[in-house]
Amino acid sequence: MNNLSVNRDAKWHLNQPYNARHLVIAILAFILLAVTGSRMEVPRMVSETAQGLGYVVGLNEESAVATGVKRIAASIWPLRISEEIEVSRIEGFDPNKLPWLSHVEVIETRTPHLNTDTLQLEETIEHKEVLVKPLGYLMHVLLKMLETLEMALWGTLLAVVLSIPLACFAASNYAPNRFVYNLSRSTISLFRAIPELVSALFLVLAFGFGPIAGFLALGIHSAGFLGKFYAEDIENADRGPQEALQSIGAGQVKTLWYGVLPQVLPQYIAYTLYILDRNIRMATVIGIVGAGGIGLELKGRFDMFNFDHVGTILLIIFLTVIVLDQFSARLRSRLM
Amino acid sequence: MLRFENVQKRFPDGTEAIRNITLHVPQGQFCVVLGPSGAGKSTLLRMLNGLSRPTQGSVYLGNELISDQSVQQLRKKVATVHQQFNLTPRMSVALNVLSGALPQVSHWRAALCLFPAELRAKACRLLDEVGLTPEHLNRRVSELSGGQQQRVGIARAFMMDPAVLLADEPVASLDPRISRGILELLHRQSRNHNTTVLCSLHQPDLARAFGDRIIAVNQGRLVFDGTPDQLTDTVCEALYHGALNRGHDTSAALSAACEPELAVA
Repeated sequence: MNNLSVNRDAKWHLNQPYNARHLVIAILAFILLAVTGSRMEVPRMVSETAQGLGYVVGLNEESAVATGVKRIAASIWPLRISEEIEVSRIEGFDPNKLPWLSHVEVIETRTPHLNTDTLQLEETIEHKEVLVKPLGYLMHVLLKMLETLEMALWGTLLAVVLSIPLACFAASNYAPNRFVYNLSRSTISLFRAIPELVSALFLVLAFGFGPIAGFLALGIHSAGFLGKFYAEDIENADRGPQEALQSIGAGQVKTLWYGVLPQVLPQYIAYTLYILDRNIRMATVIGIVGAGGIGLELKGRFDMFNFDHVGTILLIIFLTVIVLDQFSARLRSRLM
Repeated sequence: MLRFENVQKRFPDGTEAIRNITLHVPQGQFCVVLGPSGAGKSTLLRMLNGLSRPTQGSVYLGNELISDQSVQQLRKKVATVHQQFNLTPRMSVALNVLSGALPQVSHWRAALCLFPAELRAKACRLLDEVGLTPEHLNRRVSELSGGQQQRVGIARAFMMDPAVLLADEPVASLDPRISRGILELLHRQSRNHNTTVLCSLHQPDLARAFGDRIIAVNQGRLVFDGTPDQLTDTVCEALYHGALNRGHDTSAALSAACEPELAVA
C-alpha cells in the first residue's frame, strides 16, 4: 500500500470564489453604507465640493465652500512674522538698548470722528511709538513649538517609566498571579481608552493651565500603548535563554533583565520612537484645552480671529512634523 | 552522588515517559544517556533540576531528596548545557557567561551589570578554558558559530561550580567534527572541576568515545548500563534499528540482545 495512491479516485471540485452568500453580504454592506452616508451628509459634501471645484474651474458663479476657503486664505496671507509692541507699554524702555534686530517706528493712526459743534467730520491724528521686532512673532511661535516638543519628550519618558513595570506584570509568563495580571492588563486598557484631550481637560483643572497637564495626559495615554506592546514582546520572546537562566535559579527579575530585555530591546526602541513621533503630533493640539504648548497659542489666536497668526502657527507645526518624520525614519532604519 | 530510586513519570495524557528506573551515578562520572528520540532521556535529565517531577519514586542529589521545596537551592548546584545553546543572542559573550552566576549576584549589581571582580576573572578563566580568545569577550553571541556558542554555553554552565552538569543533547545541532571537539571539552572540564555529568546523546560512537559509563533508555526503561567497551555494535543495532523496525517490541528484543552486558546499577 502506497500512501500516494490512496486518493487517486477522489472527485475534484474547484468552484468559483463567489456564491449567493457573498451577494447578500454585498447588498447588506451597501444598505448600511447608504444609511450611514445619508446621516453623515455625504451627498451634500459631494455636491458642495463639486460646486467648489466648478467655481475654481470657472463653471459656477458662486460656491459657499469656495467663498469660505477664499476668505480664510485672504486673512491668513500674509503670515504674521513680526511683532509690534507699544513702547509706552514696555516697562523701563531704553531706546539706546534695543533688543537684537529690532527697531522703533512711529505709527500714525487717524481716527475719524464727528465734531458735534461744527458737524464736520474730523480726523484726530495719534502718533504711537512702537518697538518692531521683525522676527518677533516667529520666535514666539518657535519657542512655543520647543515647549511642545519638550512636552512630547516628557510625555514619552513618563510613558516608558509607567509602562515597563506594567508590561512585566501584564505578560502572562511573568505576572506573579492572575489578579495582578488582570489588574495591570485592565490598567493598560484604561490608559489607552482615555483620549489625551479628555484626560487633559481634567488635568488642567487639577494642575492649572500649562505644560504639566499636557505631558501628564500624553504620558498616561501612551503608557497604554507602550504597556501593551512591551507586554506582548515579553510574551513572545524566545524561551530558550529564559529557560537556561531559570534552570540555574536566577529568579524572575534577573531572567527578565538578562534573558528577555536584550532580545526585545530593538523592538522597544522602535515602539518608543513611534510613540514619541505620535506624542509630538498630539502635543501640538493638546494645548487647545489649555494644556500648554503651541496649541494654547493656536486656540487663542483662532478665537481672536487673528488668522495671520494662525497661519504662522500652522506652518511651523507642518514643518516640524515633516522634519521629525524624516529624522525618526532615519533613526529607526539605523537602529533596526 | 546521584540516585534515582524506582522513579516513574507519567504525563497527564497517560504517556509513561519513565518506567521504574533505578540508577546510581557516583561523583565525577561522565555518564552518557543513549536512546532514540522520545525514549525518556530528556525527562530523566529534567528531573534533576526540578523542571520535571517524578510521579513515583525519589531522586537524590548527594543525600538530599529533590522535592518541591529544594528546587531553588538545588538549581544552584545543577548546571545545564542545552541543545539549542539557549544563550541570549543580542548580548555579549562576557555577559552571557556572567549571567551563569546570576543567583550569586545582588539585584542592583545585576541590574547595572556590575559583576564583582572575582566573577569577572572567573568568566575570563572559563572562556580561556573553553578555547575562546579575549577578542570574543565583547562580541555578540549571535555573531559566533554554533560550536563557539556551545563553548560559551559550557563556560556559563561552570560559573556556579556545579556539582552536577546536565547536558541535554549538547551536540545535536552541530556537525560531527565540531561535536567531537565540544564533547572533548565537556569531558575535560568535568574532569578538572570534578563534576558529575549526565549527558544525553544519540550517536553511539560519540558515547563510546567520551563516556565513562553508558546507559541506554528506551520507552522509559533502562535497557543498558555498562562501560563503553560493553556497548557493542549488536547492542546499538538492537537499540536503534530495533526501535525503528519493530516498534513496540523493542525493549524485549533489546533486553534479549544485551542480557549479558546488563550491569547492576
